[in-house]
Amino acid sequence: MELYELNLHILIEGLKAKKFSPAEIFQSCKKRIDQCEENIHAFITRTDDKPQSIENPNGLLAGIPTVLKDNLCTKGIRTTAASKILGNWKPPYNATAWEKLRSAGAVLMGKVNMDEFAMGNTCGNSAFGPTHNPNDISRVPGGSSGGSAAAVSAGYVPFSLGSDTGGSIRQPASFCGVYGFKPTYGMVSRYGLISYGSSLDQIGPFARTVQDLQLIMSIISGHDPMDSSSFRNKDHDFTHSEDVSIKGKRIAVVKEFRDFTLDAPISDAIKRTIKILEDEGAIITEVSLPVVAKYAVACYYALAMSEAHTNLERYDGVRLGYTVKDAAGIKEMFERVRSYGFGAEVKARIIAGTCLTEPSRCEEYYVAATKVRTLIAQEFSRAFGETDFILQPVTPSLPGKIGENDEDALKGYEADLYTLPVNLAGLPGLSFFTGYSGNLPVGLQLIGPRWSDVSMLDTGVILERHLGSPKIANGGVK
Amino acid sequence: MAELTFTPVIGIEIHIRLKSDSKLFCSCSTNTDAPANTNICPVCMGLPGTLPHLNHRIVEQGMLAGFALNCGIRHKSLFFRKSYFYPDLPKGHQVSQCDLPITTSGYIEVHDSEGKLKKIRVHHLHLEEDVGSLHHSASDGRLEGAATSYVDYNRSGTPLAEIVSEPDVSSAKEAVEYVMTLRRRVIYSGASDVELEKGMMRFDANVSMKCSDGRWGKKVEVKNMNSFKALEHAIEFEIKRQKKIMLQGGEVKQETRHWNDAKGITSSSRVKESYRKFIVEPDLPPLYISQEWIDRVASRMPEMPDVRANRYVNDWEIPQEVADVLTDDKNLADYFESCVSSGANPVRAAHWVRTEVLRVLNEKGQKIADFSIKPEVLAGLVKRVDEGKLSTTQGKEVFDYMCANNSGIDDSVKALGITEGGIAGNALNDIIASVIAANPDVLDEIKSGRDKKGKKLKFLQGLVMKETKGQAKPQEVAEAIAEAVK
Repeated sequence: MELYELNLHILIEGLKAKKFSPAEIFQSCKKRIDQCEENIHAFITRTDDKPQSIENPNGLLAGIPTVLKDNLCTKGIRTTAASKILGNWKPPYNATAWEKLRSAGAVLMGKVNMDEFAMGNTCGNSAFGPTHNPNDISRVPGGSSGGSAAAVSAGYVPFSLGSDTGGSIRQPASFCGVYGFKPTYGMVSRYGLISYGSSLDQIGPFARTVQDLQLIMSIISGHDPMDSSSFRNKDHDFTHSEDVSIKGKRIAVVKEFRDFTLDAPISDAIKRTIKILEDEGAIITEVSLPVVAKYAVACYYALAMSEAHTNLERYDGVRLGYTVKDAAGIKEMFERVRSYGFGAEVKARIIAGTCLTEPSRCEEYYVAATKVRTLIAQEFSRAFGETDFILQPVTPSLPGKIGENDEDALKGYEADLYTLPVNLAGLPGLSFFTGYSGNLPVGLQLIGPRWSDVSMLDTGVILERHLGSPKIANGGVK
Repeated sequence: MAELTFTPVIGIEIHIRLKSDSKLFCSCSTNTDAPANTNICPVCMGLPGTLPHLNHRIVEQGMLAGFALNCGIRHKSLFFRKSYFYPDLPKGHQVSQCDLPITTSGYIEVHDSEGKLKKIRVHHLHLEEDVGSLHHSASDGRLEGAATSYVDYNRSGTPLAEIVSEPDVSSAKEAVEYVMTLRRRVIYSGASDVELEKGMMRFDANVSMKCSDGRWGKKVEVKNMNSFKALEHAIEFEIKRQKKIMLQGGEVKQETRHWNDAKGITSSSRVKESYRKFIVEPDLPPLYISQEWIDRVASRMPEMPDVRANRYVNDWEIPQEVADVLTDDKNLADYFESCVSSGANPVRAAHWVRTEVLRVLNEKGQKIADFSIKPEVLAGLVKRVDEGKLSTTQGKEVFDYMCANNSGIDDSVKALGITEGGIAGNALNDIIASVIAANPDVLDEIKSGRDKKGKKLKFLQGLVMKETKGQAKPQEVAEAIAEAVK
C-alpha cells in the first residue's frame, strides 16, 4: 500500500504515531501526480516542485497535501478561475477557507482545473483544456469542480476544496467516485472565492470517506467578519463518531421526480440505498415539490446569470490580469479585453444576465426569479416539516464522453435539475458513493434543511458503512 | 397676446461625504490626501474573491444626516449594484441603496421669491460608496482624448450620502439656499464636515421649464457642479438656455449636460450616458435597523441651527440677523453659548462675537476652534466693560492686544497702561493740578474772567483727557476743573 492511497484520518493517525513523515507523504503524492497527470490533466498550476514549508507543524493537518479549485485565492500563487482574463494574476491575499487549512498545517500541491468561472458541469469549459475522469479518461470528471474531484479520486491528495453554485461539488464527486459536500449557505466563508452567483456559491470539501469530510468541515466552517453572509452564533460539532443512528428518521423521495428517466445503475442505487435505510430503522416517505420540479431550472439560471454578469464586470483590464496596451480609448480597451479574455460559455451567460436585468425586462425575469426563489425555499421548508432528509439522484445519467454534450448546452443545463434547487434554498447536500457500474462510480445525494449539516454527515457515515468506500481510480494508468 | 411666462422646475441631487475614519465596506482609512493608492486593500480595489462588509458606524452617520433633513429611518433597507463601466469604478458596479434607501422622505425650508417660507421636499437620502479618482494627461483634464490616465483608488469605497430632492425648487436662488441650509444642518448633525474645498459636496440638477401656454420642456440633467456658485450659475444658464429654445418654438432635448465652470456654460455630454441597471447586492444582507437603534442615534442629534437661532431671539432678545450669523457655524454658536454660561450678558456677548471675534477670524483666516481667546476669558472681558471697569474702546483695545500677544486680560490691561474703573478722585485731581501748574497763563486768563466763551476751560479739559488717555469721564473732568480754577 502506498501512502497516497491512505485516507485523510489514517494519514493523520500515522503521522501522530510517527509511522511516516510529512516528507514521505509529499513524495508519495507527488509521484502519483507525476504518474497520472498526463492522462488526467487536473492541474492548472502545480506548486509541488519542492516540499512546501508547513505553516503549523502542530496543526491537525500538519503535512497533509491538498489541492484547491482555481477560483480560491492563494496569496502569491497564480489564481485563474480557468479563464484567460485573469492572466498571470497572483492574489495578494488568501481565501479564508484556505487560510484556515494552511493554519492547520495543510500543504498545497497546486491549483486545479474547473469550468471557467465555475460555469459548466463538465470541466471542459476551461481555458486550460479539459480534465479527464480518473475512472475512465475518455469521460468527463464533471464540473465545475472537476479538478478537485479528479485529484482526490486519482489519489493525488486525500482531500480537496471546491465550490458549488448549482451542483459543482456534488456532481463531479458523483462522477469521480468520491464524497463531496455542499454545506448550508453561510456555513463556510466565501471570502476569497471568486464569485459566480454570490447568493448561491458555497465552498465545500471532497474526500474518500465521510469521516474525512467531517474533519475538513470542522476546520473550514464558522463565522468570518469578511463575509457578511457567513452566519454568526451557530455552533456545529463535526466530530466523527461511529456510534450514530438513523432509527426513526424520516427520509423522503420526491414525488415529482419519480417519472423522470434515470440511467439504470442510478435507479438501482436508489433502490439499494432505500433498503439500507429501512434496515437501519429509517422511515421512507414521499414529499411533493411541484414548484421545484417545474421552475427551479429556469429560476436558477435567471438568478445565477444575473448575479454572474455583475460579478464579472470587474474584469476590465485596468487593475489586473489580461490587458491590451494599444487600445484607442477606454471603450476599446474594455471591449478588447473582455472579448478576448472570456470564453464562449462565460460570454453567453454575461449576455443572458445583462438581458435578464435590462430595465425593460428586469421585472419579468430577474425580479420574477427572486420571487420564485422564495416560493422554492418555502416549499422545501414545508417538505422538511414532513421529512428529515430527501434522497435523490445527483444526475440522471453517468458521466458522458468528453466533448459529447458540447453542442447542446441546454441538455447540460437540465442535467442540473437535481442539484441546483439545493443552492436556491441554501440547503446542505451530500453527494455519496454507492458502488460501481462497470468502471464508473455511481453516486446519490442526500439533502436536508438548513443547518442540518452535522446530522447529514452522520447519516453519510451509516450509508458508507453499508455501501462501502470508493477505491482509488486507476488514473488511466494500466 | 399675453406674454409667455416660464416656471423653472428644478430637482437637486447632492452627494455628501460622510464623516468616518474608515471606508464603507472595508477598514481602509478615508484620508484621500494620502499619496495615491496608499489607502487601499483588496476589498476597495474590488479584487476577485473579495466581499463588502458594512461599516455600522457609517450607518449611524447616515441616520444623523437623515434626521437633519427631517427624514424618517426605514427599519429595512437594501444595497444594490449599479452597473456601468469606468476605470475609476473597480467592480464595474457601484454599491448603492438607490432603490430601497435608509431614509424615508423629509424636507428643507427655504424662502421663496416673496420671502415666504417654502418646503423643498427631500425624496430620500441613501448610502453608497464613492469611486476612485482619475488623473488625465489631456489638457482639459478629461478622459476623452487623454494620452494617459492614472487612477487613484484612495477615494474608492469612501462613504457617501446621496440626497435627492423633489422637483420643488423654482429658482437658482432657492437652489442655493436649499443646499446651504442643508449643508449647515448636516454639519450640525455631525454626519459630515462637508468641506466644500475638499470636494465633500457635489451637485447635479435636473432642470425643466413649464410654460404658461401649457408646454412642459423635457428634463435636462446638469452635472459637475462643485460649489454653490457653480450650482447657481449652472441653473441660471440652463433656465436661460431652455427659455430661449421654447420661446423660439423649439423643443428642449432630454439629455445630460456638463457644467463647464471656466467657460460658465453647460454643454451636451460628449460621452453618452451609459445605461444603468440595478440588481440586489447579493453579498450584503438587508440592513435592519431597530427602533431602539434609531432612538439611540436620535438622542445624539444636537439642536438644529434654526431652532437654536429662534431660542436666541426668544430667550435672550438677540436680533434675528445676529442670531442667524451666530448659528451659521455650530462651533461659533457653541463658543457664544460658552461665553453666556460663563456669565456674559447674552446680547453683549452676541455683539462681541458677531463683530470682534468674527473680524479677527476673518483677518487671520482662522476657525473658531483655533481662536486663542477662550470663551470664558471673553466672557470676563465683556463683563468688565458691562460693569464700567473698562470703556467700550478700552475693551476693544484689550481684546486686540490679547489676540495679537496671546496674553490674558490683566496683563493686557497693564501693558496698555489702562487704569481700570477709569481715573477719578485724587488721581484725577493730581493730573488737573499738574496741568494747571504747567499753564499758569491760561489759569490767569480764566480767573480774570476773560474766558467768556469757556474756550480756555475746554482747552484745559482736552489736556487733562489727553493726560488720562481718555480714562476719565469727560463730565467728571469738566466738573473737577471748574472746581480747581475757582
